[in-house]
Amino acid sequence: MPDQTVDNPDESRAHRFVRPPLSRRSFLQRSAVAGLGAASLVAFLDACASSNINGATPSGSPGLQIATPTNPVLWPISADNPVIAAGQKPEQGGVLQLYNYADYIDPNAVKSFEKKYAAYNVKVQISTFNDTDEAMTKIRAGSVPYDMYWPSYDQISRLVNGKLVRPLQQSYIPNIKNVWPSFENPWYDQQWRYTVPYTVYTTGIGWRSDQVKQDIGGLSNPYASLWDPQYRGKTAVIDDWHTAMMLPLLKAGGTDMNVTDPAQIQEIGTQLTAMQAATKPRVTITMYNDISTGQLGLSQFWSGDMVNAVSYLPSGQSPKVLNYWFPPDGKGSVDNDLMVILAKGKCPVLAHLFIDHMLDTTTALGNFSYIGYQPPQNSINPSQLVSDGYLPANLASCTVLPEYFDVGFRLLEMSPSVTALWQQQWQKFKAGG
Amino acid sequence: MLKKAGRKSRGRRSLLWPALAIPGIVWLALLFILPMYVVLAIVFGQQDPIFRNAIPVWNPLQWNSAQFQYVFSNIFGANAIYGPAILRTIVFVLIASCLCLIVAYPVAYFTARLAGRWKGVLLIMLIAPFWISYMMRMLAWVNLLQNDGLINKGLSLGGLFNVQVDWLDGMPLTVILGLVYGYVPYMILPLFAGLDRIPQSSLEAARDLGAGRFSAFVRVTWRLSQPAVIASVLITCLPMLGDYYTNDMLSAQPSTSMVGNLINNTVLTPGQTGQAGAFVVLVLAAALLPMLWYVRSTRDEGARS
Repeated sequence: MPDQTVDNPDESRAHRFVRPPLSRRSFLQRSAVAGLGAASLVAFLDACASSNINGATPSGSPGLQIATPTNPVLWPISADNPVIAAGQKPEQGGVLQLYNYADYIDPNAVKSFEKKYAAYNVKVQISTFNDTDEAMTKIRAGSVPYDMYWPSYDQISRLVNGKLVRPLQQSYIPNIKNVWPSFENPWYDQQWRYTVPYTVYTTGIGWRSDQVKQDIGGLSNPYASLWDPQYRGKTAVIDDWHTAMMLPLLKAGGTDMNVTDPAQIQEIGTQLTAMQAATKPRVTITMYNDISTGQLGLSQFWSGDMVNAVSYLPSGQSPKVLNYWFPPDGKGSVDNDLMVILAKGKCPVLAHLFIDHMLDTTTALGNFSYIGYQPPQNSINPSQLVSDGYLPANLASCTVLPEYFDVGFRLLEMSPSVTALWQQQWQKFKAGG
Repeated sequence: MLKKAGRKSRGRRSLLWPALAIPGIVWLALLFILPMYVVLAIVFGQQDPIFRNAIPVWNPLQWNSAQFQYVFSNIFGANAIYGPAILRTIVFVLIASCLCLIVAYPVAYFTARLAGRWKGVLLIMLIAPFWISYMMRMLAWVNLLQNDGLINKGLSLGGLFNVQVDWLDGMPLTVILGLVYGYVPYMILPLFAGLDRIPQSSLEAARDLGAGRFSAFVRVTWRLSQPAVIASVLITCLPMLGDYYTNDMLSAQPSTSMVGNLINNTVLTPGQTGQAGAFVVLVLAAALLPMLWYVRSTRDEGARS
């Protein structure tokens, strides 16, 4: 991506400009997390879990099983939603319907897939959504038989419980061997029955070295810089309650980003109020644009958004001004996105083949350079990303390492009553109170 | 025979007038009353326990007021987390409306009474901002106001002084001025219409009877333009009450959150759609009171004249 930017900034910008003002990563993260835990009325929710009037029955049992790294889940495969037979030919003249965020897939990856199966006259059609809430509603309505969807792991419980996803016939997906071994049996989907990984990312701190004189990454506690009054008016946090609210926990050296103790949650709110008083942070998801234009000097950042920020720099501006810090020992926030096959799709064989195509090393790297978010491919290592021009040397820290997933912290689903407590603190913060 | 025909035509005419109201009533029913009922059904409705989307409850007998009470208690209760944003909204809208009036009244006055043959051209220029989307106009301000933008460059007189005003970093002034800029055209037009209707003869009579320029303005023009002033303030106030994108674009900081932002935040969050509805109902109720007062005052006006 940086080589495109440096050699031909105009072309790079031209394709960037067709994107929506919010990056699909941001949308994905925000809505995925919000979608799972957005209850704010404990009693009310409990009430509707037990009584469903008006014939609007939920698609599954009310109790959601929550997967965590310490409590891995093997999702059941039900008889009415079986694995497809192995060794079938692709659907002749099939139209593969992808349902994804805008610009979250490289058009060249789609074209090369169509070419590969040209003998079967295959077409790929991409539909986009703005947030996963909208996506889930439309998938449930089933008016368009989408074949594939790109969720985050904190939606998987609802997708399986609602029988919205199809279990994978793994014989179609030999390229799973290219993926980090840890994803061949992930805790959120043991035996990868329903999902394959798409991208991995970390959540750290980004800053501009021309506006921030300190080396943030070299500080004893980089998270605390977001509370430093000398950066007042220059900072931002990510507009997603769970992502932003883990900052006080990280600053305090916490390792559990899903605390349930009301006193601790109250303390998070107190810390957010202190942050508000000290630095008046923006609450936004367009930091990749704002830091490039100099409106922001220091911000909470997703690693993939920092890679994207390079292509938003004004022409002539060196990417050296951008910096990203994530704990080098991996003890920070790490997450990943998935590909799934939807149960109501018309081209299940093609969908399996498409997943395999996306896990191909060449396709995955091409896709990385387009979307900025790294695929969990074995072939990727930090020195290679920099020398191949995917990242400028000073942003090598945006590389996501497999080890991070052994020690990193996860944003998990929480029970409605705990979520309500978190959300109340977030609402207070967002209301400027 | 003649008598009968006359009665018949009168009968037809009396049916005609109510019939003319049908499109309006249908419009109102389809686009206001029905959606309002949907909002209420969601506010007092249920939620899907897995997907957390709102499930409207259509039967009022089964309505559940938990979400409404939650919002209400967080505005007025001991734990008033929404209180500051509500207060801020009132202050912002009041200041912005006053500034709008200060800007709009002289402009409308000039256009209506002093512009002469330029009246038409001026009117077109006043309507021109409507041709550009509100969003585009605010985005233009983002460019002008950013740290290395034209405003700061202008203020520093080309580098003569070191001016670094962080306009976009949560300044209430920026948000208020953004509101004024965005809504002032909506105020000028009704003011113009009101001022343009004031008969020249009334002013001439006032001057003939010995009133000075100022006295004639206060006693005649200002008095006669009052309904237009009230109408124009209401027309700008009401959309300002629900505005959130001005704030989102020119500040994006919680320190300047308004009611519109609270609605926008909750409506986007699954599980909180009902709360957004409750805010809408409360804003509607707050906006309805001055509206009713306006209807009443203009009806009295009509009865008097």
